[in-house]
Amino acid sequence: MSEVQAPTPTEGGTTIGTGLRRWLVRPEAPALVFLAVLLVAFSLSSDKFLSGSNLESILVSVAVLGTIALAVNQVILCGEIDISTGSMMGLCAVAAGAVATSTGGLILPLLTGVAVGALAGAVNGLLATLGRIPSIIVTLGMLYALRGVILLVTGGSWITGIPDETRVLGTGSVLGIEYPVFVLLILFVVMELVSRHSTWGRNVFAVGGNRRASRLAGLPIDRVRFTAFVLVGVFVGIASIIYLGRAGSVQTNTGTGLELQVVAAVVIGGTSISGGRGSTLAALTGAVLIGVILNGLILLGVPGIWQDAVLGALILLAVATDVLRRRLLGDKS
Amino acid sequence: MSLSDDPGTQGAATVAEALPVFRLQNATKRFGGVTAVEDVDFDLRPGEVHALVGENGAGKSTLMKIVHGLYTPDEGTLEVGGEAVEFSSPRDAEGAGIAMIPQELDLFPELSITENLFVGRHRPRTRWGTLDQAAMRAEARERLRSLGVDLNVTTSVKGLSAANQQIVAIARALVGEAKAVVMDEPTASLTDREVQQLFRIISDLTSGGVGVVYISHRLEEIFTISDRTTVLRDGRHIITAPASELDAEKLVNLMVGRPLNELFTRSPHSPGEVALEVRGLSRAGEFEDVDLVLRRSEIVGLSGLVGAGRSELAQSIFGIRSPESGEIRIDGADVQIRSPQAAMERGIFYVPEERRSQGLILPFSIKNNITLSILDRIARFGFLPRSERQTADRFAKELSIRGAKVSDPVSRLSGGNQQKVVLAKSLAREPSILLLDEPTRGIDVGAKSEIYRLIDDLAKKGKAILLISSELEEVLSMSDRVVVMREGRITGEFGRGEANQQVVMTAATGGKNRPAPELRGNEASEDE
Amino acid sequence: MSAATAVLRRFKFSREVVLLGVLIVLMFVMSLLSPLFFTVGNLLNTSRFFVEVGLMALGMTLIIITGGIDLSVGSNVALVSVAVGFTYAAGLPLPLAIVFGLVVGLAAGLFNGLFITLLDLHPLVVTLGTFALFQGLAYGLSNAEAVSDFPDWFAYFGQAYFLNVVPGQLFIFILAVVVVWLILSRTRFGRYVYAIGNNEEAAHFSGVPVRRVKLALYSGIGLLVGMAAVIYTSRVYTARGDSGLGLELDVISAVVLGGASIYGGSGTIGGTVLGVLIIATLRNGLVLAGVPSTWQVFVLGVLLLVAVFLNEFFRRREE
Repeated sequence: MSEVQAPTPTEGGTTIGTGLRRWLVRPEAPALVFLAVLLVAFSLSSDKFLSGSNLESILVSVAVLGTIALAVNQVILCGEIDISTGSMMGLCAVAAGAVATSTGGLILPLLTGVAVGALAGAVNGLLATLGRIPSIIVTLGMLYALRGVILLVTGGSWITGIPDETRVLGTGSVLGIEYPVFVLLILFVVMELVSRHSTWGRNVFAVGGNRRASRLAGLPIDRVRFTAFVLVGVFVGIASIIYLGRAGSVQTNTGTGLELQVVAAVVIGGTSISGGRGSTLAALTGAVLIGVILNGLILLGVPGIWQDAVLGALILLAVATDVLRRRLLGDKS
Repeated sequence: MSLSDDPGTQGAATVAEALPVFRLQNATKRFGGVTAVEDVDFDLRPGEVHALVGENGAGKSTLMKIVHGLYTPDEGTLEVGGEAVEFSSPRDAEGAGIAMIPQELDLFPELSITENLFVGRHRPRTRWGTLDQAAMRAEARERLRSLGVDLNVTTSVKGLSAANQQIVAIARALVGEAKAVVMDEPTASLTDREVQQLFRIISDLTSGGVGVVYISHRLEEIFTISDRTTVLRDGRHIITAPASELDAEKLVNLMVGRPLNELFTRSPHSPGEVALEVRGLSRAGEFEDVDLVLRRSEIVGLSGLVGAGRSELAQSIFGIRSPESGEIRIDGADVQIRSPQAAMERGIFYVPEERRSQGLILPFSIKNNITLSILDRIARFGFLPRSERQTADRFAKELSIRGAKVSDPVSRLSGGNQQKVVLAKSLAREPSILLLDEPTRGIDVGAKSEIYRLIDDLAKKGKAILLISSELEEVLSMSDRVVVMREGRITGEFGRGEANQQVVMTAATGGKNRPAPELRGNEASEDE
Repeated sequence: MSAATAVLRRFKFSREVVLLGVLIVLMFVMSLLSPLFFTVGNLLNTSRFFVEVGLMALGMTLIIITGGIDLSVGSNVALVSVAVGFTYAAGLPLPLAIVFGLVVGLAAGLFNGLFITLLDLHPLVVTLGTFALFQGLAYGLSNAEAVSDFPDWFAYFGQAYFLNVVPGQLFIFILAVVVVWLILSRTRFGRYVYAIGNNEEAAHFSGVPVRRVKLALYSGIGLLVGMAAVIYTSRVYTARGDSGLGLELDVISAVVLGGASIYGGSGTIGGTVLGVLIIATLRNGLVLAGVPSTWQVFVLGVLLLVAVFLNEFFRRREE
């Protein structure tokens, strides 16, 4: 009775061709290829690049970015966006830093950072769901409003003298792996599990892929989106502790511009900006890619002031590639 | 049809006395001042196929949306398994075992077949508390196999054929252990062979005790599979009868409420010179190697199934999607049309099927809608002229648009009058070639009759008209020539004398000898 | 609540009246906060600050009506400022440097427009990318340095007074308001803008040249940004890579406050002008009251959120 089964485009071709094609349509495939090409190119042009310590330092440098990107990835998969993470990170770091300097320890500052982040994320989520304001406007407003809160809290002064036991996530290492990398990898595994093996994780793809059908299927669309925004807050809180550990102090401009790097990481990695398509690995790949590019530029002697230009160009390149790839694969939707 | 035994009728005989799966009594639903459904009774017994028929706008979809929990009735009661229920969402309905397969399938194109089956449903879990992917895949495979297909359940749905997407939608409905399945126009885009496959699935379902509500405009399908038939007209219940007591003619009369020949206007035309000629037009996946000729003072009917590529063809001629190969000639001269503006300058105008999303700018006034396509002509140095209002008034009067002032938003008008605004917009442009895509879809009988008169009048005045329609009666009654498309190709062309329901349906479905009285169209704008 | 909505319903189509009321109340409050506020000199002086935002808000109004957005305007100001300053420093005569700056602004806008229309991408993503790109180019090309040795006459654009009280750039703004208002309300192009914002697909099917209109809009705002950037550079008398940082917030807030729906389809020039005036009054008042500038950003961020929320809230009420 299977005679009605029309051969679909993905089902044709030889097994090797099919396998390759399958792999190529994976969202993170272009980013991984690009990453491999860059690794080869940079290691050919600078012998320092491929050393183990340089590679690990790249991973350490993207730990904050990668952690936040893992969560923002979920927001973008829902068909939303969050560009408030820069100021949010600053605020979490201020709050955690203030607690750290008065009480010390790791747990209490961490909980503070996570709680502040979750609260800010909840505000984003509420305005975007119940308030029905487009998330770009919500988080643009919050980007500035939260920066204002930082100034209110700190009065414009720095927080210094973070005790060593609070800084362990930025300075220590476990099993020979530096803590920032360790935390990033743990969170990656957690998100991979949540994304594949929890109802919420699966619903995120449905809500971002076809909101009307999701409503008909009875999915709690608002709750799914709200949770994603809160998740961003929680991950930003964790990231702020890594930041505290690495930097040892908080300034009023901490985290400025981070939101762009995060969005760039997610879309460069291959998660579609229109939602419903992407993967956890895409966010991680994108973050590492940005780390490699920034590190490579420094090794090649390009001044740091060009960073923003490179980032912007990368975002545009990534979204353009996404569109062109879909057109080439004959996806007419 | 070649169904050797007819399990449907047998099933009905044995379960006729059983408690109905659901029973709707005295249901009334109003939208603003419009009553979509009034005092309708409808019930479904286990193991039966209950056909629901009626013209566009008769209230079929509204009725089923009540059953499926999308609408709450203003009056009336719904019982499931003998107990009164009130659904506030489709989720409630599905929880009670009532599933719906809408005409426009609500699938998730990017997700795998397995995911599509389980979104919003209970999912099996491993003992670690994580989702049991293997179990879901196995169940998905099993569900599809029980429906007679063997698909790779990890592939995404967007690559599947229309028939297989339909099957995924049915499988999705069954994951919820449905006792009743509502199918809204399930065969609209299926070929003959796929329709038979679907019928086998339906008879498997009913012999398992599931009740099926079957909405269709294709009367021959209804006679093939239904046990009982209910007719709705203008939101009212007309009759519910066993299939054996009805025949095609009776059914059509019950649906339309008056003899068909009073609906259509047609005067003799004498087709003149070739206005539009299309040669070998192709666009991958949509239509292939299409030849078509339109003459002045001629109405050419373009028939075929939903998804046969008719709209895509017309939109290509109008410059909305560019053809990949082939030629278009207007008045004998080769032309390249890359945009609607270019098409309009060549005297072509396309009236789209999707009135609300493609034909009108709903928040705009009637005036601004009518003049939108002629602004480049009437504007002086880019400024809007005062005469704009008079121009709009003239066309509103010419098409007798009723119900609002020309300065009111077009959204205040009824469906029929909105359609007249779309036509007014096209006439304001004074095209010589008119491509009409389902021009009477979802509008009341009175407005239909007016639009037929208008189309006839336009042909008399020398315009070349392509009439795309899924209503066979409309095509046969209005056209000087009928062209049929199937799966993107022209599969038949009949002069006025040769065209009849049988030959047209055969060409449209590829089936042999399939008598097909049908009266159909889409339902989308009935009650929004 | 019901009484309030009844009143609102009566004033439904005169949102401008409500905004005017807000503006008057705001001015009153500000004059209480600072005695300096209600002087003719200060009021006119305020216009120095809002002309730049106002010029960009005019273009942004049309873009938001089509359902689009341009996040890159602030960065584009920096790019144009650097283009003017550094070509002049490199020896180009200043008039030519100014023209070059305007061309850069236009080209940046055109770049946005081409990217958006040719790839069918959402303007949000594209302009988020160019937001970073233009900013980065401005930093990189200026090498994070500043140019400020302009000739005296350059100050005319941003610092001149007419009859000793009226800032010169106010005339440019008034002229721009009239021109854009005419375009939006009296021309075919304006009708197309509303058509696209209300139903892009139907507009396309009706023969509206959707892509060309969008290209014109994004290029047009590029040109307006160019003008704003020249005035800005003249006013602060310095060309730097961080000129115009964060201005997109003021611009978008003003437009949304003026009643343009962020979902497209509605908005007026009158509303936007009032929105610009309210934001300028707020900023000026906060400065006079001695509130630090970072706090102003906080207020603006909250104001933007409140404005959008109220817009959509009342729109839903009306339906």
